Amino acid sequence: MIKEGAEQKAKDIKFVIVDIHGVLTDNTLYYTDDGKKSECFSLHDRLGFKALMACGIKVAFLTSKISRADEQMGKIYGIPQEFLWGSSAKMALLDEKQKELGFTDNDFCYIGDEMIDLGMMKRAKLSVAPSDASPEARSVADIITKAGGGKGVIRELAEFILKAQGKWENFISQIT
Amino acid sequence: MSFEKDLEIAKEKARKVKLFVHDIHGVLTPNVIFCDVEGQRRYSFWHMDGFGDLSLTANGIKIAYLDTTSIDEEGLFRAKELKLDKFYYRVTDKISKLEQLKQEYNLTNEEVGCLGAEITDLKLMKTVGFAVATSDAIDEVKTVAHYITKAPGGRGAMREVCEFILNAIGKWEEWVEKVTKMGYK
Repeated sequence: MIKEGAEQKAKDIKFVIVDIHGVLTDNTLYYTDDGKKSECFSLHDRLGFKALMACGIKVAFLTSKISRADEQMGKIYGIPQEFLWGSSAKMALLDEKQKELGFTDNDFCYIGDEMIDLGMMKRAKLSVAPSDASPEARSVADIITKAGGGKGVIRELAEFILKAQGKWENFISQIT
Repeated sequence: MSFEKDLEIAKEKARKVKLFVHDIHGVLTPNVIFCDVEGQRRYSFWHMDGFGDLSLTANGIKIAYLDTTSIDEEGLFRAKELKLDKFYYRVTDKISKLEQLKQEYNLTNEEVGCLGAEITDLKLMKTVGFAVATSDAIDEVKTVAHYITKAPGGRGAMREVCEFILNAIGKWEEWVEKVTKMGYK
């Protein structure tokens, strides 16, 4: 579902900020018999992240705490260490990062799936929710992706933003 | 979007295949990675896709893995497990690798088949004689494909391709007979 005006908003996006659980993962936690936890991340999204960054759009993780798994996935997705942001006070950290990096609410896109993301989603120029996000997140989102969490949300969003900005075709011709 | 394919044309094309190539992620895996709290990575493969690859080689059709996006050596492990000798790791240019394989085996484009899912497979799909898309491939890949599997990547797509090709060349029944008696490895 794409709300009217979303494509216009996408043209201004310079920064994409991503919640991890339920967006890059399907929200499932796997435990081994000795209690070790794993999560299942999308690899479709690797192409999405690559595309955004190759076209000059910055990308950051924003989650309550950056785990070692998140660091590992940051490497796999090609996101620089300084853009892995962890804080339970997401809004305060966002204020700090906006000052530090010089961007505003008008420049960024936020992808979230839960009630705790609502504040961020309302501030963002463009807000996005996976198809299986909570009803609250879906009701405020400018875009609800066809993909569910962990199934290529960023891959889909990257294509949408870069097509709106007229950069997609060029990116494809570079990688194939 | 619907993607109607002519099965008779697909069979005709499948009959000519002597070499079948495919990637790892999105084709042999569902394009996901399991990452545990310590950063250890795991990948899932579909048991019966191995049967697909091995059944084709047993019936005289060569298999080559053209991996583009391995993170660790996940595809290499799988190829070794299946005792496949043609594994190309982190290939950036699939088309020149294809040219190399065609020369080695003395084949034309018509005699090559491939299974694809992403943008990175598009050129290959347009080049080879028999192009197959997984059910969860992107629309562009499905559009150029001659056949689309019912199964998504990493959940039986390669098993399905194998059955389709062996059926097309009339060897499936015989093969089923054989593996039910003796196994396939």
